[in-house]
Amino acid sequence: MKKVYGVKILVTTNDLKEKIIDGLGLEDIELDEIEDDMALFGEDGLGLDSVDAIELTLILEKEFGVKVTNMEESSSIFATPNTLVTYINEYKESSK
Amino acid sequence: MKIYDMDKKKYLTIQKFDNPTRKVEQLSDVLYHFENDIFKIIYDKSQPALVKYINSLDQDMLKQDDFQFLYFTSGTTGTPTGVYKTKQNSLKQSKALMKTLGDMKFKRVVTTVPFVHIYGVDIGGVMPLDLDLDVYTKENFLPEELAVEAQVEGTLIVTTPIFIKALNRIKKDVKFTNSLFLTATAPVPIEDAKEFKEHYDCSVMQLFASTETGLMGYKQDDESILNTYEGVSIGEDDGMLNISSPLVTQQIIKDKKLQDVIQPFQTEDIVEILDEHRFKLIGRSSNLAKIAGKRISTQQIENIIEMIDGIKSVLIKIKMDDRALKDEILNIYIEGDIELKGKMLREILKEHFGSINIPFKLHNHKKILRNSIGKKIGFE
Repeated sequence: MKKVYGVKILVTTNDLKEKIIDGLGLEDIELDEIEDDMALFGEDGLGLDSVDAIELTLILEKEFGVKVTNMEESSSIFATPNTLVTYINEYKESSK
Repeated sequence: MKIYDMDKKKYLTIQKFDNPTRKVEQLSDVLYHFENDIFKIIYDKSQPALVKYINSLDQDMLKQDDFQFLYFTSGTTGTPTGVYKTKQNSLKQSKALMKTLGDMKFKRVVTTVPFVHIYGVDIGGVMPLDLDLDVYTKENFLPEELAVEAQVEGTLIVTTPIFIKALNRIKKDVKFTNSLFLTATAPVPIEDAKEFKEHYDCSVMQLFASTETGLMGYKQDDESILNTYEGVSIGEDDGMLNISSPLVTQQIIKDKKLQDVIQPFQTEDIVEILDEHRFKLIGRSSNLAKIAGKRISTQQIENIIEMIDGIKSVLIKIKMDDRALKDEILNIYIEGDIELKGKMLREILKEHFGSINIPFKLHNHKKILRNSIGKKIGFE
């Protein structure tokens, strides 16, 4: 996480990728193999599936205190590491 | 009975769809065929290898008018098996399940499973049709969403162990007192079932079934012993369960040919039989993994990897991680002149298994050990 004036406020894409690799058991994937704008789901990107999506919501809650409560909003949030990190940081900011 | 499309927030009537892709369309189309006694082939179109296999079959052979459905499963060795089911198979199964539900009365069914396998079709579709209960479904559920639905009194939830584990992990401060969860596809660990019951004040009934046999047994909450359904007779051969029942298929397609099924039907489940109505599941044939409820043959994956130039031999061992939603991880040990990269393997597996993301860990540059008859026994 980035520190601003000694206070943890921002989650970075690398923070997120570490949690994704660890939480989804993608031990064979290196951090730099996941690009910031790579699709997390579908054939052309990281290739996660619907069970990974559920696991990812649990990871977000446990690791970042962020809740995703409906699938409709999750499709845009979970598009790429960038969109997910934006959501995490906005959520944390709005719940301060 | 009506189908409620939770994504579009509207009811859908039972009707024919030429190319059903969404879950509600699959359900509507399957029930249309069922109600009108029209034969239908059911399979998961997201699995490229399965689609290719079915297309390679003699299409005239597939259609058998005496049957209602022909399901294709991935098979225990990776070669798909076609399983024919009659309308009576489905209806008797529905009745057998209802009997075990006892006095519980339901007002509606919520299902998280797709309608491309027998579990979704029979339990999530035919049974509600038989009971005249509305079915609520959507393309993808989050645990939070299912928690909201389960709080509605009289809800029967047709789901998988993944959601039991996920709901245990979010520990939402709610109760599902007047609902019931049905699960199949894989066992719910006893500790998970106990935790779920204690936290949500709601029972989980685990159904033990296969496409070929239909329902075989059930157990509730943290019970370790399975009870047989009415009409199901159990036996064992060398520790492996066999089944005779009116729910067992009469005909299958194996090795691209139609074959009659003789009962008792031999499964690959290792069991301990306690008496004529009760048995314990000890395990299953060791070359099968269940990833997110889908049966994956490790032997098939070994064969796929061994086709890659520079790879001599592959051995896969299954590692369990009870807390993970995908609780079986493949440890893949590789002997060869090249180093297999995870990215490359992922792409290859996608060509065979489609959208499912199989968790694995690669161990390159190993020596695969074999016994005197050539069977792989370990690595160094």
